[in-house]
Amino acid sequence: MTAGTAGLTRPVPGQRGPWQCVPTGDDAVAVAERAALGTSARVAVWPPENLGAACTATDDVLAALDRQASRFRPDSELSWLNSAASRGAGGGLFMLGDGLAEAVGVALAAARWTGGLTDPTVGATLVSLGYDRDFALISQGGEPPGSQGGEPPGAPVPAPGWQRLRLDGPLLRLPPGIRLDLGATAKGLGSDRAVRAVMCATGGDGGVLVSLGGDIAVAGTPPHDGWPVGVAEAPDQAGLSRPAQLVRQAAGAVATSSVRARRWRRGGAVLHHIVDPRTGRPADGPWRTVTVAAATCADANAASTAAIVAGVRAQEWLAAAGLPARLTGHDGRVRRLGGWPAGDGGLVPVPPGSHVYAGGPR
Amino acid sequence: MDRSSRGVPRRESIRQARRMSNWTAAALIAGTGTAAVALAHQARQATVTATPSTVAIPATAAGTTGTSAAAGPRVTHSVATTTASGVTVTTTTRTVNGQTVVTRVRQVPAGRDD
Repeated sequence: MTAGTAGLTRPVPGQRGPWQCVPTGDDAVAVAERAALGTSARVAVWPPENLGAACTATDDVLAALDRQASRFRPDSELSWLNSAASRGAGGGLFMLGDGLAEAVGVALAAARWTGGLTDPTVGATLVSLGYDRDFALISQGGEPPGSQGGEPPGAPVPAPGWQRLRLDGPLLRLPPGIRLDLGATAKGLGSDRAVRAVMCATGGDGGVLVSLGGDIAVAGTPPHDGWPVGVAEAPDQAGLSRPAQLVRQAAGAVATSSVRARRWRRGGAVLHHIVDPRTGRPADGPWRTVTVAAATCADANAASTAAIVAGVRAQEWLAAAGLPARLTGHDGRVRRLGGWPAGDGGLVPVPPGSHVYAGGPR
Repeated sequence: MDRSSRGVPRRESIRQARRMSNWTAAALIAGTGTAAVALAHQARQATVTATPSTVAIPATAAGTTGTSAAAGPRVTHSVATTTASGVTVTTTTRTVNGQTVVTRVRQVPAGRDD
C-alpha cells in the first residue's frame, strides 16, 4: 500500500466545486479531496461512478456543519449562540436548529462518557490561550493565534463545566459567559454525517470512506479486506502525512489526536489546541499522538482527544471503554491496546455501538 | 359397580388423557417454534456484530489480501490517512507549456505552526 497522495490530479467529473481527483493506483475505487473547514476533506467510493454524487452529498454536509458549529465563522449558529450568551446577563434559553442541537447533544454525551476529559464549554479557555481564529486565515495575511502582542498566556481559564448546560431536544440553557467549542466531536460527527449522506445519495450502492482532517468514517460494503488506511501523527512541513502504519478498516471509524498539530507560540511558550478542561492549559501528558477505533467517528474523535487529556490514565480509560487504540509517547514508543493490529495490513477491530451519537450504530 | 358405572370413568379418563396429550403436543409445538425463532435471532445478531468488529483476519502484508466476507473490490493502495487535523492543504493542477503541474499548498507558513 502507498499513501496515494501524490501524482496528477484533475477535477471530479460533473463537479464545479473544488474537489480534485486523487489517483491511488486502484481503478476499482475513486478518491477526491478538497479543502474544507480549515482542513482537508477526502472521499473514497466504490464503484467509482458514485464519486460525483458522493462529493455533492459531502459538500452539503460540510456546508451545513460549518453554518451550524463553526466557532470561527461569525455568521454560524454557534457564534450567534456564544455571542448571545455573552450578552445576556442572566444567560438564556435558546432554541437551536436540528443540526446544532444534534452537535451539542453529541458533545455533551462525549463529555459525560469521558468524565469531562472533553468538554464543550472550553470555548473561553481556547480564546484565553490565543486560539481565537481559524488557522487557515494565517495564510491570508491574518495574525497567528495568540496575536495579543505575543504576551504569555495569563492565568489559566478552566472550563466552566459541561454539567452547567441543559439540552432538552432543541432547547439549550446556556449560562452567561460560557462559550462553546465543539472541536472534540464536530469533525468526527461531520465524517459520520457525510458517510450516511453519501450512502443515502447513492441508494446504498457500494461503499464509502470519508476523512475530515484525518478523522475517518466508512459505510456501506467495504472493499475486500477493508479500506486501506494509513496511520500518521500529523502533517509534516510540506503538508503531507507520512503513515507510520498501514491498516485496514472494514467498518466504523478511526480518529487521531495529536499535540503535534495546530501548535503556536505565545510569549515564548509553545501551545497546542488540545486543552485539559480541568486546568485550562494544553494537555501535557505522556502521549503525543493517539489513534482510536470506534463504532462512530464522533466516538473515535472524542476518545482520542480524551486519551491525550487523560495523560497517564489514558490506557486505563481506553481499556475500560473497550476501544482499540494506538498511542505514541513523546519518546516515540508505540503502545497498542484493544486488539489494534501489530503490523501493516491488519484489520482494525471496531467495537459495536456508539456512546455519543444516536445517529450511529447501536 | 355395573358396566355402565365403570364405563363412565373409563371414557372420562380417556378424554382426560387425550386432552393432556393435546396440550402436551401444543406446548411442544410452541416451544419448538419459540426456540427456533430465538436461535435465528441470535444467529443474525452474531453475524451483524461480528462482521465489522471482531472478524479475526490475520494481519496481511502490505499489498496482499487475506480472507474476508466483504463483497467489495480488492483495493491495495491506501486511500486515506488518519492523522491529527493539521492545516489546510490544497492540491491544484494547471497546465504550463503543455505540461501538467501539480502544486500542493500548505496554508500555514512554516514556523507558525510547529
